[in-house]
Amino acid sequence: PKAYNTVDAEVRAYVYSLVSALGGTGADEDGKYLLGDDALACLKDIKKWLKLYDEKSNRLDVARCLAEANLVNGDLLEILAAWPEEATDDKLTSKISLACLELLVPLTWPIEKSEMQMTINHHRHVPYLQLAQTEYKRRIIQHDALILRTALRIVLPSIALPQEERTSRDEGIIKLLLYFLRNVAMISVPPNLPIEGSEGEVSRSATVEAFHKQEVLALLLTVASNMGEDFNTQDTVILEVLFHLLKGVDVEKLFMDKEQMAASNSDELKSLLKKEANMHRSYARNAPTRHNRFGTMIWVKRDNARGMSAVSGQDVLTDTQHTLTKMDQSKKWDKPKQRSKDTDQSSDRFDLPISLDSSATDHLRCFVEEFLDSSFNPLFSHIRRAIEREADRVLEAHTQQFFYLVSWFLEAERVRRRKKTEALKKSRGPASKLTTDFEADSFALIASVLNQETFILLNRFMQDRLDMKSWRDVNAGTRALTQILLIVQEMAQSSLEEDQEIAENIQNRIFYEETTHDRIIAILRGYKDQGFGYLDCSTELAHVFLRMLERYSRENVDLQVRSRRRARKSKKAAARQRGDAADGEDDENASEMEDVVEAERVSRERKFDFTRFSARFMNQACIDTFVAFTRYYKDLSSEQLKRAHRFFYRVAFKQELSVMVFRLDIIALFYRMIKGPQGLDTAGSTYREWDELVRQLVKRLVKKMEQRPEMVVELLFSKIRSSVFYLENGYEEQRVEKK
Amino acid sequence: RANSVGLGIDEEIKVRKARQPIAKLDEDRLLSQAGIPKLRRTAKERLRFKGKGHEYSDAARLLQFYQLWLDELYPRAKFADGLAMIEKLGHKKRLQTMRREWINEGKPHINRN
Repeated sequence: PKAYNTVDAEVRAYVYSLVSALGGTGADEDGKYLLGDDALACLKDIKKWLKLYDEKSNRLDVARCLAEANLVNGDLLEILAAWPEEATDDKLTSKISLACLELLVPLTWPIEKSEMQMTINHHRHVPYLQLAQTEYKRRIIQHDALILRTALRIVLPSIALPQEERTSRDEGIIKLLLYFLRNVAMISVPPNLPIEGSEGEVSRSATVEAFHKQEVLALLLTVASNMGEDFNTQDTVILEVLFHLLKGVDVEKLFMDKEQMAASNSDELKSLLKKEANMHRSYARNAPTRHNRFGTMIWVKRDNARGMSAVSGQDVLTDTQHTLTKMDQSKKWDKPKQRSKDTDQSSDRFDLPISLDSSATDHLRCFVEEFLDSSFNPLFSHIRRAIEREADRVLEAHTQQFFYLVSWFLEAERVRRRKKTEALKKSRGPASKLTTDFEADSFALIASVLNQETFILLNRFMQDRLDMKSWRDVNAGTRALTQILLIVQEMAQSSLEEDQEIAENIQNRIFYEETTHDRIIAILRGYKDQGFGYLDCSTELAHVFLRMLERYSRENVDLQVRSRRRARKSKKAAARQRGDAADGEDDENASEMEDVVEAERVSRERKFDFTRFSARFMNQACIDTFVAFTRYYKDLSSEQLKRAHRFFYRVAFKQELSVMVFRLDIIALFYRMIKGPQGLDTAGSTYREWDELVRQLVKRLVKKMEQRPEMVVELLFSKIRSSVFYLENGYEEQRVEKK
Repeated sequence: RANSVGLGIDEEIKVRKARQPIAKLDEDRLLSQAGIPKLRRTAKERLRFKGKGHEYSDAARLLQFYQLWLDELYPRAKFADGLAMIEKLGHKKRLQTMRREWINEGKPHINRN
């Protein structure tokens, strides 16, 4: 009733009359749905209203009225449900079904408007419509009559035709269905809106379940595997469906079998309980042993005229550390913080983990395996080409989704191979060799994204989006590159000689370009509150890249990289100085001194030195990124903690630049991780490694402070580049490096 | 007086007392006697380490030393906040020159030229 003032009364009246003329459940037909006399015309009229009123004048009024009139649940779904299987040939009823689908697609279409496009009218209707859409989805996937399957039936005649015989109407119908599936996959419970306890019914598990049961997954496989043959323009929609089906799904968990799952679940519970007990213990250690009005008070004696500060509470008696912590906590002022930019609510987010129940896991795993076996190459190479030639149907978001899915499927393939090997090992016993019948799967199944064209596209995409500061895109690209590196690494260890060769080639290409090296550093340096997702992917890429390059350059001692001099100035300066201080790397250009202009543009090969390269990671910005990452230590997995550990180990001990981490906030963080309060779990696997690292670092720090009293001041600040060397070594750097 | 009717000149001007300015942790404060000079002075006598085998108690001592110093220099801020503010100040020209000077003071004199 109070909603009546939101929409023009006349519009509402028209729409309502159309909906009621469409048909209804008849009391004398025991609740069966009966079509109105002019049902088809009604459906067409409603469609016209949506198009000519809502779309034309950029409003959502008709959609709102239709939601209030319960058109989808009360009529459309009932009509579809009443469409008997044997009546597929009936012209009129199939026409009506199609008309229903034509309405369902716009009604379930995601409402994604940027702040700029929103009108008052939108603000008024969007929350209501979002809730209505979740309700649509719930009814669509839960309906007894298998609505999705019915929708497939509408399209089957068109799909069955070979591509050249399809009319544009057929193509349109296929697209309509795929968009319908996309919408259903995409709708999720709107964040920040109340929903009456039906979250489970529209969850990812429920979606997967329905897609499996109603043969949608099979259809997706058919279309995807025939991409480029029977299908052509449907690639991006399929991409979207896959994206919304798979985003956030944990690959590792997907491939666990039942026992592992159960074990890991009960392990999880056990470890969570243990963690909680640990937390309680550390709390109890500091908790008061007497009642809260016991009224202890102590003085902290100061060395200046001010004399004392008073701290109360008996817990402060135990030791100085507690007292000081308490003094600190009782301060009322907080440094104003910048509001975090990580408030993105859109449905494109892929870095929020999603959990699936066990039966959905099974279905999805089967689907993913079949997809890898049959559809990955045709679909992904097809989309890549579409993106490259900037086809009309390719939208901005598709490239991001493409790279996210590339990374997702590559990881899935890796995990699948690993599981297979493990299973094989188990069945054969540990001693036997694995080589004989393991040849069956080479890496050909995913070869379509391991070619030069993809690398070029990926590089361009990452550089582009990095320049545009489009962080979610960078995130997707980073993930893809990380997974490519990992899979190449596995290929290099394959027993097939051919695979090894290919891997060698790819590695050559990836490591050859210095711009790639620069970009990875730039991504790592580029962290400035983009949220945890960015931290995670950028640190992972840096970690994987460094380790692989280290190994690679150890095996290929005479590795060359192509470097590019950009600045004219530095070039000229180098040319001028070449006379007196001949630097090793400049020798080969010495003869070409006269054509400096040419030399500017020419790419030069230069010998690659891993130590020097990894030293480039040891700058303050990169260290700060890893520190920011480590600050989340309470929530990090042991694999992530290891990643941070290795990095700091590299900084302090491999590169001998421990001075860089000698900064009080970092020391305080490390100290807190080990000694608490709220430190790392002492039973955790990484605790020992961290303990050792921190201990060694402090040892060095103490020594350093005794050697060099100026460290007392420098401990407060990020180090100035020029003083790092002196602080570390105690003498000036002899040779001034030219860059 | 007649001219001023309606111009609002007659109305009494309320003098609002200026707010007490909030003390800032800036370069001046950091470089004042209670700031880094004091840190350098007191570190020599107060900061003693036990060395090998006592890493964590040494680290705790170090952190406590700085926390007390910071609390006296700028009682308003929590330790972590204060550290972040000081770190930021360290990028200023003036502090950079001072830091370089302090480092140079510690350098062996023979090599200076």
